[in-house]
Amino acid sequence: MTDTTQELKVTAASDIAVDHEALDASIREFAGPNGDTYVTAFHKIHNATGWMPPTFNIWAALLGPLWAAARGVWGMFWGFLILEMIAWVQLGRGLWGNPGAAFLDRAETQSARAAEFLQRAEAAKAAGEDPARFEKLAANLTKAAEDSLAQGQAASSEAMGILLTGLALLLIVKLVQGFFGNSVYERQYSRWRITPGSVENGRRTKNIVLGLFLVAAIAPLTVYKFTVASPSELLNVFPEKEVSQVFLGEGNATLFSTIANWLEARIDETARAGADVFDGVTAGVRSVLNTLTVALSGTPWPVVMLVICVTAWRAAGPRVAIFTAASLAYIAMLGYWEVAMETVALVGAAVVICVAFGIPLGIWFGKSQRAYRAAEPVLDLMQTLPAFVYLIPIIAFFGTGNPPGILATIIFGMPPVIRLTALGMQGVPESIKEAATAFGASRFQLLKDVEVPLALPSIMAGVNQTILMCLSMVVIISLIGGGGLGKVILEALQYAAKGPGLLGGFAILFCAMVIDRIVQGAFRREDLKQ
Amino acid sequence: MAEPVVRLSNVWKVFGTRAAEAMQAIRAEGLGKPEVLKRFQCVVGVQDASFEVPRGEIFCIMGLSGSGKSTLVRHVNRLIAPTSGQIEILGRDISSLNERELREVRAKQIGMVFQHMALMPHRSVRDNVAYPLEIRKVAKSRRWAISDHALGLVNLTGYEDRLPKELSGGMQQRVGIARALASDPEILLMDEPFSALDPLIRLQLQDQFKALVAQLQKTTLFITHDLDEAIRIGHRIAIMKDGVIVQIGTPEEIVMNPADDYVREFVKGISKLKLVKAHSIMQPMDSHKGPLDGAPRADEGADLDQLINLSVATDLPVVITEAGRDVGIVTKPQLLRGIQGGKDD
Repeated sequence: MTDTTQELKVTAASDIAVDHEALDASIREFAGPNGDTYVTAFHKIHNATGWMPPTFNIWAALLGPLWAAARGVWGMFWGFLILEMIAWVQLGRGLWGNPGAAFLDRAETQSARAAEFLQRAEAAKAAGEDPARFEKLAANLTKAAEDSLAQGQAASSEAMGILLTGLALLLIVKLVQGFFGNSVYERQYSRWRITPGSVENGRRTKNIVLGLFLVAAIAPLTVYKFTVASPSELLNVFPEKEVSQVFLGEGNATLFSTIANWLEARIDETARAGADVFDGVTAGVRSVLNTLTVALSGTPWPVVMLVICVTAWRAAGPRVAIFTAASLAYIAMLGYWEVAMETVALVGAAVVICVAFGIPLGIWFGKSQRAYRAAEPVLDLMQTLPAFVYLIPIIAFFGTGNPPGILATIIFGMPPVIRLTALGMQGVPESIKEAATAFGASRFQLLKDVEVPLALPSIMAGVNQTILMCLSMVVIISLIGGGGLGKVILEALQYAAKGPGLLGGFAILFCAMVIDRIVQGAFRREDLKQ
Repeated sequence: MAEPVVRLSNVWKVFGTRAAEAMQAIRAEGLGKPEVLKRFQCVVGVQDASFEVPRGEIFCIMGLSGSGKSTLVRHVNRLIAPTSGQIEILGRDISSLNERELREVRAKQIGMVFQHMALMPHRSVRDNVAYPLEIRKVAKSRRWAISDHALGLVNLTGYEDRLPKELSGGMQQRVGIARALASDPEILLMDEPFSALDPLIRLQLQDQFKALVAQLQKTTLFITHDLDEAIRIGHRIAIMKDGVIVQIGTPEEIVMNPADDYVREFVKGISKLKLVKAHSIMQPMDSHKGPLDGAPRADEGADLDQLINLSVATDLPVVITEAGRDVGIVTKPQLLRGIQGGKDD
């Protein structure tokens, strides 16, 4: 028989012995130099049950961040460095900061001025004029000088207090370092046991050098800057002009202006060179927009309203239909109908283009990890770059008006539909794809019958997100000549017109909610409905 | 015997980016699995598998998780391409087919059932079953009729318009079987179809499935990790371990003559009563000295259970007959040893 019967010895939990030998060897391997000290310390930590470990590491206390660096405990290195520097800065201020100096200086000048005025009073008296004015001034100045002197002395005596605080702080920091150094190091040891490759162990020269360098680079400058009464100007402001001169030579423009001018020239050049392309894009966008505008504004308003309400009813039920009717009534009765339809046409055009390009891209990214990884930074950029930044090149390339506004909207609105389509595609269970393949489905059939239908909830969530993102751009694109409700808001903002602004804002909100509800209702998949 | 429906010869599958290199090294140096992993970071999924399955046979492939049985069976419809070796379906080398031909073979000649059903949640039961036909562009009226018929075969009439999630696990798996049967394939590939079901339902489905396949005469490759299931269903069983086929044989052969300790360990707990037949434990006629008058008679295909019933009524051995001719005898000691698993004295 292959199975070996092993006798199991049952031991009470309290009688189980700790295997010190293996543990000690492992700790020694981890700690490197001074292994035995750490064996003892870690045993104390392992045996402790309270929160305060009964160990004190004298080297951690004395050297602080340097000890942490040498042992590769970088989190502790930064923590200790900051704590020690706060203490050192206090000490420095107490020792040579002389916080009363400014007041004492002032007192001196003030008494000098008082003496001057007294002299002038004497002179006036000698000349037979009335010295009262000068005497009064001198008396005031003398009083001010006395005040300053008092303040200066108070500040100077405060210096003693700061010095003492600094000393106390340093002592506390050192104690904390000494008492908790081993505990933190023990935690590093526990992590090292799990992943010996990625957690540092032992005492490494490389780490000591790096720690020394960091302390030398950070501590003296910082302490100097915070303690000296008037530190060098070089430490306050980055010498941007001087650096520019190093690169561009004496008397030339700054790096900033050079690069900005160069960029501007390139953009102008590109705009001229690619005028046909950009005009073509604008024309394409305009044709989509025009179609939608004709459909929404050209059709008689009662028809459009009826169609919207019925769509809401069919897609999302009676409650949404009632809400839709109320929203439409609000928009129409406040006179926003025309502009609201323009807004819907703008957003609609942007969404149509986003979806037309975003879904195929998302499908591609869902299938090709490499393409997705390459596109990810671009998508991040599209979403995080503030809209105002890309409004400028858009004006340069496409001019102003509605079509460039739609392009700006597309940049902001496209990422969600791409991302969620890709996510949905990746979420399609492998087993179902395999089954379809096993029954002879071609790649296109697989996509059409399995992947897209199963990814549809995610894709529709993406479309919905895109719609809402596009709506949120409506106000911003009015800055580059986009029309619709955004323009209403922009005008209200310019004249600080509170009432019109609020009414227009609600009109946008209702548009968004109606579109959102209808789309959500329309694309809920049959098998996912409750 | 006629042309086998499925034939695998010397199939190897090595997973990894350096599979071709690894395969060459295996050929040249006879590397083992651990060395291949170490030198090429490649995993050997299937090692030198060869077998043939004649028409109408249920061929079980039994092994534990990770033994390569699922990988092996996916070679048959080339969901996985072999690193080396040949796979023939009805005499056609499946590696030589182009994309279109391969899809045609998959759609027409091979039906597959999966452990986790793999039904499409957005399609009705009927449309799920009809999907292989839809791929082949069969008209809707035909595919609905065929799919209703297939659902009838697995006793699911009345559920055609339900969505898969409205059905229980056992019913969903029957939909999976109906889908595999819908295109009337020559070959059924069953990838642990009943593993995810509870024991009672599993037993029921095993019986239904066996009857159905016998009736429809489908050649079946049936994967399972459960030897009981393999013995219940299979005409022959291949036992796999670490990508190697350790033994191929009928259930009786495997139970009576395990090829090695690994197989022996497996068959230890299997009840032999219904499995072991008289011909494998009988002794020659002349081994019994004495009269055999009034001794009970049994056919050589009688199992131990039947032999015990005959044997308790008499002190004489049971005489085994083949086509009316006496060919051997089974004495009580042999019978008892047979129950234990064919150990010699």
